[in-house]
Amino acid sequence: MSRKQNHSPKQNELRWLYAISRPYLGWMLAGVLLATTVILANVALLSVSGWFITAMAISGLTGAVINYFTPAAAIRGLAILRTVGRYLERLITHEATFRLLAGLRQWFFERLEPLAPARLQYYQGGDLLSRIRADIDSLENAYLRIVTPTLAALLSTVLMILFLLWWSPTIALTNLIGLMIVGLILPWLALHLGMNSGKQIVEARAALRQRTSETVRGLAEITLYGDPQQRMDTIHAENRALVVPQRQQNRIDAGSTALTGLFSQLTWLGMIVIAIGLVQSGMLDGPELVMLAFFGMASFEAVAALPIAFRALGETRSAARRILDLVDAEPALIEPINPAAAPQHFDIRFDKVCLTYPGNKQPALSDVTFHLKQGQKLAIRGASGSGKTSLTQLLLKFWAPDSGQITIGDTNLNDLSGDTVRALCAVVSQHVHLFNTTLAANLYLAKPNATQEDLLNACQAASILDDILALPEGFNTIVGEAAARLSGGQIRRISIARALLKDAPIVILDEPTEGLDAKTEQAVTKALAGLLQGRTAMIISHRPQLMTLADQTIVLDAGCII
Amino acid sequence: MANPAALQDKEQTRQLDRWLRSQAKTVKRPLNTAVMLGSVNGFLLIAQCWMLAQVLNATAIGHQPMTTVWGYLAGMIGLFLLRAGVNYGSQRFTFEAGARLRTELRARLFDHIHALGPAWSRNQRSGARATEVVDGVEALDKYFSLYLPQMQLALIIPAAILVFVFPFDWISGLILSITAPLLPVFMIIIGSQTEKLNQAQWQSLSRMGAHFFDMIEGLTTLKLFNAAQREARFIGQIAEDYRLQTMKVLRVAFLSSMVLEFLAAISIAMVAVYVGFRLMYGEIHYLNGIFVLLLAPEFYLPLRSMGTQFHARMDALGAVEPIIELLNMEPSTQPTGAIELQLEHAPRITFSHLDFAYPNRDAVIRGLNLDLPAGTHTALIGASGAGKSTVGQLLLGFLTPTDGEILINDTPLSKISPRSWHKRVAWLPQNPTLFHGTIEDNIALNRRSNGHVDALRQAAQNAHALDFINRLPNGFQTIVGDRGQGLSGGEIQRIALARAFYKDAPVVLLDEPSASLDPESERLITDAIARLSSGRTMLTIAHRLTTIERSDQIVVLDGGKIIEQGTHEALLHANGAYAERYRQYRSAGL
Repeated sequence: MSRKQNHSPKQNELRWLYAISRPYLGWMLAGVLLATTVILANVALLSVSGWFITAMAISGLTGAVINYFTPAAAIRGLAILRTVGRYLERLITHEATFRLLAGLRQWFFERLEPLAPARLQYYQGGDLLSRIRADIDSLENAYLRIVTPTLAALLSTVLMILFLLWWSPTIALTNLIGLMIVGLILPWLALHLGMNSGKQIVEARAALRQRTSETVRGLAEITLYGDPQQRMDTIHAENRALVVPQRQQNRIDAGSTALTGLFSQLTWLGMIVIAIGLVQSGMLDGPELVMLAFFGMASFEAVAALPIAFRALGETRSAARRILDLVDAEPALIEPINPAAAPQHFDIRFDKVCLTYPGNKQPALSDVTFHLKQGQKLAIRGASGSGKTSLTQLLLKFWAPDSGQITIGDTNLNDLSGDTVRALCAVVSQHVHLFNTTLAANLYLAKPNATQEDLLNACQAASILDDILALPEGFNTIVGEAAARLSGGQIRRISIARALLKDAPIVILDEPTEGLDAKTEQAVTKALAGLLQGRTAMIISHRPQLMTLADQTIVLDAGCII
Repeated sequence: MANPAALQDKEQTRQLDRWLRSQAKTVKRPLNTAVMLGSVNGFLLIAQCWMLAQVLNATAIGHQPMTTVWGYLAGMIGLFLLRAGVNYGSQRFTFEAGARLRTELRARLFDHIHALGPAWSRNQRSGARATEVVDGVEALDKYFSLYLPQMQLALIIPAAILVFVFPFDWISGLILSITAPLLPVFMIIIGSQTEKLNQAQWQSLSRMGAHFFDMIEGLTTLKLFNAAQREARFIGQIAEDYRLQTMKVLRVAFLSSMVLEFLAAISIAMVAVYVGFRLMYGEIHYLNGIFVLLLAPEFYLPLRSMGTQFHARMDALGAVEPIIELLNMEPSTQPTGAIELQLEHAPRITFSHLDFAYPNRDAVIRGLNLDLPAGTHTALIGASGAGKSTVGQLLLGFLTPTDGEILINDTPLSKISPRSWHKRVAWLPQNPTLFHGTIEDNIALNRRSNGHVDALRQAAQNAHALDFINRLPNGFQTIVGDRGQGLSGGEIQRIALARAFYKDAPVVLLDEPSASLDPESERLITDAIARLSSGRTMLTIAHRLTTIERSDQIVVLDGGKIIEQGTHEALLHANGAYAERYRQYRSAGL
């Protein structure tokens, strides 16, 4: 599944984007062809109309006979083609986008899965998650915003120029130059000139956002320790300053729009002037002159969407770069090729285990040795940063030790697959992630084939059953709504119920009562005592109450047992 | 961000619209200038079409040489330049209008947040508020810079074109004027249907997105339950379901905009064909015909782009709701005393018959009488909701009692100027805020004029913060973020303590941190607090019973009333609520 694609670390973003869109190329191509059809239909509609009324006028003046059925029908037909084409284009491009979205999301998730949590620990927190969100978003829109307009512009330009070449190379060249100025040079210039102010806008906005956020959060501190008036003055000044780069950007944008209009107009006027000369020399007739004039005017619709595509391109590339950097990280450990069967015995043994996180000089763990017999409970104490959590990360096979051995039963952890190891362990920690679905679904996560009775028993044992049943929707309460009604202690007990349901022989408690008030702490500790019964456990905490559950203690300091 | 789902109520939509329009009044002048320039551009366009018609008439029909049309050609170049200038100007004016409006609105929001005060702000989700105030206001821009002027131009320009088309060819004028009103009518009929579909769609898209990112956020949890691969299949499946369902909707939704496009396209085609046949029969002059044909697409252009403008409006309406809500929040009454407080030593503080209730709600504090003798340490305990933090907020002057008084020595707090009172209280909140800036700036928010450097070091030393600050790469000049990135919880607490030491105020309110720290940090902080309390009048809002045994008096609060009061020993002896809690805590293994 996920590991078969192997990317070199410095893979080109655009090539990668191409690779990922491959399965949907048919849809994408169809979208591009339809977009081209719409553009050309519009150009043809106006050109034929111009030719038609001029030819009709000449026939009216000279009495020459004219076949007016074909062009009149063509005009109506082109109007319909343009409209229907536009409809189909929108349908097909959206179809392609949604297919791409489904593929991209699944791909991303599968690639991310082996990296969690070891390689993602620096990416925790709302900010980074929202960045991933924005990045995936702009990748999903790349086709609609970049690929379709660019390819359609290219294709229709080629076809239009070919058509013009048949009438006059000079006119074709003039139109081509105009299209290049309007479609490439001006957008590039605007992008280039606006780079600076664009960056400043983003920065000024982020700064103001942060200033606002900390002012709302710290208004009391500002009032008591600082000078509120001065603070308000600063924030007002920053508010006004935000407009400065925006104004600069607006000048560039307005200038580029005005010039786009100007160059389009000069181009078609140039085409008309050349065509007038050709009429004089008899190489073109009157209706053809008008046709080419209308053609020139309409041709610029082909490149109208390019400035937006230009702008989106840079954004999409950096989004792709960030996503690639994220998923191209090496997994923190290599899974065994022929994993051993799950051990039947659950002694835990750490033997001279060392671990240094990449990029750190200080080892997180050095020469940690201990032996925990099946059914025993080990308390691990130590200041924050002393390596307590690293121990559990190793035991869960989220990281691999640099040296030393960890065994469960008598099986070396290296010979077990991560999934097997994690099936043996239940974790209760201070950070509980409840998924935004029903409470029942969150509990069934631990044991998909659990019976209703299992569920009730587990909740009873975690002393959360009454709380859940007291909710109007009971087990069917959606977590998002429940979060407002559930306290920290209740959420902790739900995670204990989840651990009970999992019924794993090894339990890891990582500061499970942190941040609870005394009364709640007592209730949670009681529920935990039930969970630990008959199981092998590692307990990280400095709460004295929890410590009473342990029958041996190690104290860590800077990665060493003291 | 903009959430169209919140806009289902039509009446509410109309109200938001009205509010936005009323805001636009303040920038009437630049907006009107922009609309005027836009109209001028429209007239110049008509002139340009007329000149082009002249050129084509002379050269394509009359086969006249270029020399006869030089004047027109030069005129057209002049018009091009003029139009580019006008175009630039109108964009600049709309920008300036929008920019001024946004800046002023945001300034009002900042002032309002300031007026609402700390008692309000401490319960806010600061990140969400910041997004509303900064990005929400930005999102209004298109309403003013795009929607409002373009809606006017969508009337003015087609009307101007009609005025010129009728005298040249009344039949084409008739075609245009019959079909034009159909466009908005259709748009409204179809639009309201589509809007509903769009909203439903938008909701299901955001639900799907939320599910996806929920899975990513909980990836570790999924792995712990070996459920990650199971879920990966679901993600693809859900997106597929979404595609099928959405495409069904879009097939209809796009159909409606196709009708509009079709109407415009077929009208232009009709004009072309009719003009053509009447030219053949010599019923009209070619000049008139070509002029009308040139104008016809321009006639429909502003009407066709109205869809984009409606979209801009929807976005703005989505963003404006929380902004109005914030502006409508009533600031609580602020004390307006004028006495400048003079304090030589730690004051005695007396709460006298104090009542407090939030508007239209039950009382939080009822008849509180409490004496904090000068220079003593009082601990306030009680279950959550007992009113402990409210007492703290009242003491700080962030809330004003509904009845009763707080006396500082013998001066009522309500008569003291808030500024002079705030200078004399230090507060250690549960979760201190660090501001983006150096550690020095965070300790000394308001710098002393003399002896700053010594005072800073001394404060850090007293707070047991000097050692770790010195270990930081840039010492006091280390930049910290607003969530204290790079500092542990215990270190943030100690910086907040250093703040209090630096301020050296005679009154201290301490809100004990609820999360437990590692034992070493806890020891250092307890020690620093003991040092801070000496010679000051201090009130501690206690969440754990560990640190309060030594305080001069302990007050047990329940339901906004004092139920017990005395020293640790006396309360244990009395064997009441405090003794029970204490025993509970002891049995927990302390």
